[in-house]
Amino acid sequence: MRTKKAVKTFSYPITGGDYENGGNASKNIKELLKKIGVDPHIVRRTMIAAYEAEMNVVIHAYRGAIDVAASAELLDVIVSDEGPGIPDIELAMRDGYSTAPQAARELGFGAGMGLAHIKKNSDRFSLQSKVGEGTRLRFSIFLTPEVSDAAAANSVGINESLCRKCLRCLHACPTGAMRVRQGQPEILPHLCVDCTACAEACESNALFADGLREIPVPQKKTVLVLPGSFLEQFGASTSPGQVLGILADMGFRQIRLIDEWENGLRSAVLRYAREEASIRPVLSPMCPAVVNLIRMRFPSLLPNVAPFLTPIEMAREDLTAPHAVFLAICPAHLTVLHRKNAMTKIEIVHPATLREAVLRRIVAPAREVRRNVAAHPFQDVVEVGGMRHVMKVLDAVENGLAGNFSVIEMAACYQGCFGAPVWTEDPSISRPRYEWERESHLLLLKKEAEVVRRVDDLEPRTGLRLDPDIGRAIEKLSEIDALTKQLPGRDCGVCGSPTCTALAEDVVLGRAKIEACVYRNDEKFK
Amino acid sequence: MGLTIDVLAKKTGARVLVRGRARSTEINDFHASDRMSDLLGRVSDTTMLITPLLTVSVVRLIELMDVPGVCLVNNAEPGQVLLDTAQEHRTTLLVSPFDMEETCRRFRAALGLDT
Repeated sequence: MRTKKAVKTFSYPITGGDYENGGNASKNIKELLKKIGVDPHIVRRTMIAAYEAEMNVVIHAYRGAIDVAASAELLDVIVSDEGPGIPDIELAMRDGYSTAPQAARELGFGAGMGLAHIKKNSDRFSLQSKVGEGTRLRFSIFLTPEVSDAAAANSVGINESLCRKCLRCLHACPTGAMRVRQGQPEILPHLCVDCTACAEACESNALFADGLREIPVPQKKTVLVLPGSFLEQFGASTSPGQVLGILADMGFRQIRLIDEWENGLRSAVLRYAREEASIRPVLSPMCPAVVNLIRMRFPSLLPNVAPFLTPIEMAREDLTAPHAVFLAICPAHLTVLHRKNAMTKIEIVHPATLREAVLRRIVAPAREVRRNVAAHPFQDVVEVGGMRHVMKVLDAVENGLAGNFSVIEMAACYQGCFGAPVWTEDPSISRPRYEWERESHLLLLKKEAEVVRRVDDLEPRTGLRLDPDIGRAIEKLSEIDALTKQLPGRDCGVCGSPTCTALAEDVVLGRAKIEACVYRNDEKFK
Repeated sequence: MGLTIDVLAKKTGARVLVRGRARSTEINDFHASDRMSDLLGRVSDTTMLITPLLTVSVVRLIELMDVPGVCLVNNAEPGQVLLDTAQEHRTTLLVSPFDMEETCRRFRAALGLDT
């Protein structure tokens, strides 16, 4: 039983140039926080962020608004304005850079610390701006110290009763995160990058990305967010247009495809590669699982990753509707969507549930005449799909052997989201079919969403570190080497670890016993 | 070891305009600036803010940040709105007869921050 989350929302207009009333919206936020009993230290942090953001509109824009949503755990604030926009966000984020007019400076503003202050005092921060149109700034602050984004590190679900102990997942996992102990599958969360390699290898569907098994009732302002691949899960005789029509009949009047953000990202990455990037190839942050993989296994390639959020993160940032239903097709998407959100109530429906509901409503399949395949709009982009290939390509890039490409776009699944294990249609067929018809059904939908630039550097993940203390980590490495030499080197997985080295590491780190290797004392395996 | 605002005012030659929580609040350090971002970033329960600003920005600083004390400089005469806001939010308002540099020197000495 899901309980209804209490959320308080309000909106407050801001007038450009009105220094007298600048700060009134922030005062309203403070009153709200005091009434719900938020810790004074958090109130202060919030006030710094809110007041700086509000005054930015007063100082730089013609008009704007501050939209606030507060739940028991999170405060979400969106400050949007109509104004000149920010030509160079990176420069604007630098301490001391200011374009404030003299009038603002005389009042004590224009120190060039505003944006950096907002970022520093919030738990999440994003900024979008279009020159000549305006700026949209969003920040979130956790209202209780124990809440954070770290809670949802990864989202691969395990149904132990379905596991056949075949050990395929053990060998499929690119980061060695799988274990099968006492006959039960287990994921080491610090090693899991949320890709679908284990689920793809699992023939009994014991590994999955979960979601609601009933479709939430659409409300007046509900937005349904789908991956384009969903529209091609109904066979060749049902067109994407028909599927969209059925979803509208089901009450989903506002539908947005993840493609909007993907297309926006493709254009932005290409521009970035041509105009800004100093390192080649540029790696496009298309798939969150691949970004996780780079952070963990290939941290030397982090400077190659284009500075944008992934499309699913952008979709989450972009939405301000009170209710959104997402169709999440992989654990990486789920992890992003599980992050707390006060502005929008997000419900995640299982793909199979929505697919079945649409299937029941298909009465007269009739696919329109197809168009010819359009040439890929960006010839500089090389696409790579599937974790095995992604690993090889990243290896090649790291070793300077990838060739002279300007942009590489990688997805954990073969054929991108069309290859998510949850789908029934083969991606080799469903994706080209979708591409053929893209132009016709996208006429119904916005084609390219505004991208969101990443304001935080991507940090390496510390999942592979053996010990926080470097000296102790070196000692453990030596112990692992010594122990590995005692093992047969078959990498059979019978012990429950994917390789002999992984078992040695598990033993040294206290996760397993050496006796788990049944071949250890068998002379013929030495 | 901090000083109550009353003692601090006496030691630095500042005049108390609004008493606020002067008796109960102990001040350990101070921060001086004519930039709002600077002042916002340094607010704490034990920090006195020193500023030459006399604008609506200082009113906002008091309203939004629960500042324990603000010290104006150069014998500035604040408007009624600033006085009322300080009163309402129990923020102690001081005014120093000296310029910002000399005021800071006196605060450093009074709080034992010279070393």
